[in-house]
Amino acid sequence: MAHEKFRVEVLTPEGEVFNDEVEMVSTKTAVGSIGVLAHHQPILAMLDPTELRLYDSESQCVRFAQAEGYMQVADNRALLLVEEAHAPGDLDASSLRERLQQAERELESAGDDTEKRRVAERDKARLETFLSIAEA
Amino acid sequence: MPQSQRDVRNRIGAVKNIQKITRAMEMVAAARLRRAEQRIEALRPYADAIRRMTRQAAEAAGNVPRLPILQEHDQMERVGLLLVAGDRGLAGAFNSNIVRAGVAAGRQHDAEGRTPVYFASGRRPATSLTFRGLEPAENFTGFTDRPAYADARRIAERLMAAYIDDEIDKLEIFYNGYISPVTQEVRRETLLPLQQATVLEESDKDEEEARDDRGSGHRPEVEYEPDPEDILRRLVPDYVEISVFRALLESTASEHGARMTAMRNASDNAGELIQTLTLEMNRARQAEITQEILEVVAGAEGLSG
Repeated sequence: MAHEKFRVEVLTPEGEVFNDEVEMVSTKTAVGSIGVLAHHQPILAMLDPTELRLYDSESQCVRFAQAEGYMQVADNRALLLVEEAHAPGDLDASSLRERLQQAERELESAGDDTEKRRVAERDKARLETFLSIAEA
Repeated sequence: MPQSQRDVRNRIGAVKNIQKITRAMEMVAAARLRRAEQRIEALRPYADAIRRMTRQAAEAAGNVPRLPILQEHDQMERVGLLLVAGDRGLAGAFNSNIVRAGVAAGRQHDAEGRTPVYFASGRRPATSLTFRGLEPAENFTGFTDRPAYADARRIAERLMAAYIDDEIDKLEIFYNGYISPVTQEVRRETLLPLQQATVLEESDKDEEEARDDRGSGHRPEVEYEPDPEDILRRLVPDYVEISVFRALLESTASEHGARMTAMRNASDNAGELIQTLTLEMNRARQAEITQEILEVVAGAEGLSG
């Protein structure tokens, strides 16, 4: 059954990567995976790195490797603000692996409860997610 | 006394050399401007949305957030002023406008009993402030041609730490907003405390509409995932970083635009000067020829007489 469509915008600091009508948005908040359909209750959510799926129809979807960000749903529109969003085809597994190793090294050298540690942890989580998307 | 032909020719040569340099600088600025313009235009919607979201979440969190970055200080004694301009000059009034606006605001705070604490991004505002005896608490330099997000993060972290540690009770930021290559406007924004933060016009309107809706009771309750306080813990630092990043990018685009315009004017002036000097040189040459003819004629007359 076809669902009603609603407007979704995905913005990054480098510009708009998506702005179209879709049936469903599937992403991951700090609490867990979430699927948003048309007329969803207003929500403000913090997003974790994941594969963002924007379903055009039941079977067709646009995918992005998505970094941390926020999602706001209001007035039957979804606005996703993410730090990075890449088409899976643009990801380069070998360079991701390299950056992941560097993040792991930095995590080892970082002291407890420092900003450096938090940055390294976030980098690691994001790169791991991107890598799994690139290798899928 | 009219200048000799050779003097004028030397001056023309010098002006032509300067014109070559200003032309080259104009073209470099134009090329960089195009990239800087694209970057700021891509960032604006994101930055506006983050700011709107932060305010909304802060309102929802109410008055009890335990986050020190969200706390309004009881006393407003020290105001942090971040002046964002460039590392290099030769860009018209680009740098001096920021310094003038920042120092004027600092004086006003001073007159009202608050101590201004200066921060400078860019070598020019840093040296101007030092020259005026207003030593900045910290200078950030070396990136204004092409700022990276990491530069904004470094500045934002320092400023947030200053706010949390009571080094400052308020944070204002001054930068050149980019409108077009020939038009830039000095902007003054309050970033912290969030309760007093400058809201851009567009979002102002949205918010009023939102408030109206809420007043009439049509608006369903907003769901937060996780709760507003946890969202704010990450959102507020992001908001300060993005706001600083936006100021850096606006400033960079403005700098290249201002330099391009200034250098174009300089090249045009050089062209006019060359024309005037060429006329003068021709006149000097004519005067010399006339002089020589007079001498020859006078000599011939002397011989025949």
